[in-house]
Amino acid sequence: MTLLDVANLDSGYGDLQIINGVDMQVGDGEYVTIVGPNGAGKSTVMKSVFGLTTYMGGSIEFKGTEISGYRPEEIISTGIGYVPQSDNVFPSMSVMENLEMGAYILDEVPQERIDRIFDRFPILEERRQQNAGDLSGGQQQMLAMGRALMLDPDLLLLDEPSAGLAPDLVQDMFDRIDRINDDGTGVLLVEQNAKEALRRCNRGYVLVQGQNRYEDTGDALLADEQVRKDFLGG
Amino acid sequence: MSRESLTGMGENISGGRISDSASAVRNRLSPTSGADIVGLFVALLMVLLVLDIVRRLVTGGIAYTKLLEYLWWGLRDAMYIALAAVGLSMTYSILQFANFSHGDLITTGAFGGWAAAYLVGGWGLASVGELVLVRATSGGVSPGQVGLQVFASPLAILIGMVVAGAVTVLVALAIDRLVYKRMRDQGGISMLIASVGVALALRYFLAVIFTNRKRGVTATAPDVGPFTAHELTLVIIAFALIVGLHLLLQRTKLGKSMRAMADNKDLALITGIPTERVITATWIIGAAFAGISGYLIVLDRGSVSINLGWFLLLLIFAAVILGGIGSIYGALVGSLIIGMTVNVSLIWLPSDLAKVSAFILMILILVFKPNGLLGGVETT
Repeated sequence: MTLLDVANLDSGYGDLQIINGVDMQVGDGEYVTIVGPNGAGKSTVMKSVFGLTTYMGGSIEFKGTEISGYRPEEIISTGIGYVPQSDNVFPSMSVMENLEMGAYILDEVPQERIDRIFDRFPILEERRQQNAGDLSGGQQQMLAMGRALMLDPDLLLLDEPSAGLAPDLVQDMFDRIDRINDDGTGVLLVEQNAKEALRRCNRGYVLVQGQNRYEDTGDALLADEQVRKDFLGG
Repeated sequence: MSRESLTGMGENISGGRISDSASAVRNRLSPTSGADIVGLFVALLMVLLVLDIVRRLVTGGIAYTKLLEYLWWGLRDAMYIALAAVGLSMTYSILQFANFSHGDLITTGAFGGWAAAYLVGGWGLASVGELVLVRATSGGVSPGQVGLQVFASPLAILIGMVVAGAVTVLVALAIDRLVYKRMRDQGGISMLIASVGVALALRYFLAVIFTNRKRGVTATAPDVGPFTAHELTLVIIAFALIVGLHLLLQRTKLGKSMRAMADNKDLALITGIPTERVITATWIIGAAFAGISGYLIVLDRGSVSINLGWFLLLLIFAAVILGGIGSIYGALVGSLIIGMTVNVSLIWLPSDLAKVSAFILMILILVFKPNGLLGGVETT
């Protein structure tokens, strides 16, 4: 079943169009990666799905419902979680409060969700009273993911989760994303670290100048001579 | 960045070796070392001043009770500055502009509240017009005749305070709807300039209704121990409100969403926090506190004038900036420092110069810590 179905999407910021007729699907529980050069509009596609850009045309269906034009708080409640690339925690609030904010749209903070996130990221439980701003970069990234998982989304949008992490933490981050996906959450990932992302994912899209260039399984894209030469540095 | 380094290189090339070494020297004398010197200077000055206070106490140059009185006044001033400062700081961090009309919200509360208090407490003593306009004309009924003080007419004083908050909230929400809401995405500078316009418009609007006559308002209340009843009322109410705000921010969902929005507006939006509702809550709390602050200042000082809030605004900004602009707890710390400085400096300075000392201290601290005392540590 198709979870997310983006068809012929046009979007951008204000008058500036960045995405030009992009098609993209994420199946139920599927792990999809978007790669491409800087300025290709990878993050913009993701933001468009979350209602943070100017919608200019095409359709965005989630679980069969058209969600283009929805406000972010409505999109969250349909079951999409979003982790922005940077500034993705509330620095002066505690780890616990950051997670609580993830469940803002609920009347009660679901304790069992917090427990599950602490199981997934034990370091967060250890630091739950500390301010998020005092965590390391990797820990902040975990907290941001934890926050987005508070509502148990069907689809998690991750914008360059490995950006700014020390090399030994990058593999760890990819492992964690694998585990989130193994538990049945669909993942749409934008990554600079294209080779590793394609190795891990089910399918990948190569975006260039706001348009689809290639799409295939991750392994097939990695094997493709042209893709390797143009986008993966040989 | 690149342009700067390019021109820098150009200078070095044209100036040859000499300018090279000159810039090396400049780099060694970096701003941090300058700030360190200022910091050391401030610390040294503080130590000297404290030692001087001890010397004066021992030699009898200043009476022990006099010092306590200055400290008490400092606390009193800190409390009403703090009431206004938290609101200013909240609008800064959540709406992201420095609101110059905040001072005139204080004045709005002062007039609105005392109009209500006069109406309730002075009913039948004078015409309704004279009461509602809080003795706009000289002659007529005198403050002593109306007899408003906390012991004689607690109900009127209480109702006045509630109305002071309510009227200011309504005015602030109306102004937000008319002006600031249309400018949400315009950036801090445009909104700041608009707020200066709002400040003037609001003040002269009040002046048209209430006139610009400075007049006495309250009757004298008997002292409570060493304190006057009205300054004690001010300190207790302000303290209670600040504790209430602290509990709201730390314990309630609304308070946490306000802190979240102050921390990171974009992320708050992504998390599903209804940002416009939080902005409304910010105006309600900030304006209510400002209005009550104005009302309580009049209760303490005994008189009201149209420039009340405007004259206070600079001290409030000093407190907010000193604590780290945008930080609510910083605003409290800043208020305490400003209030204490203005009053304790009376030991050395004539009262005209006391405020100057507060601003000099502010400048010195900013040179030392440009983000304010709690700036960058805790945003809310």
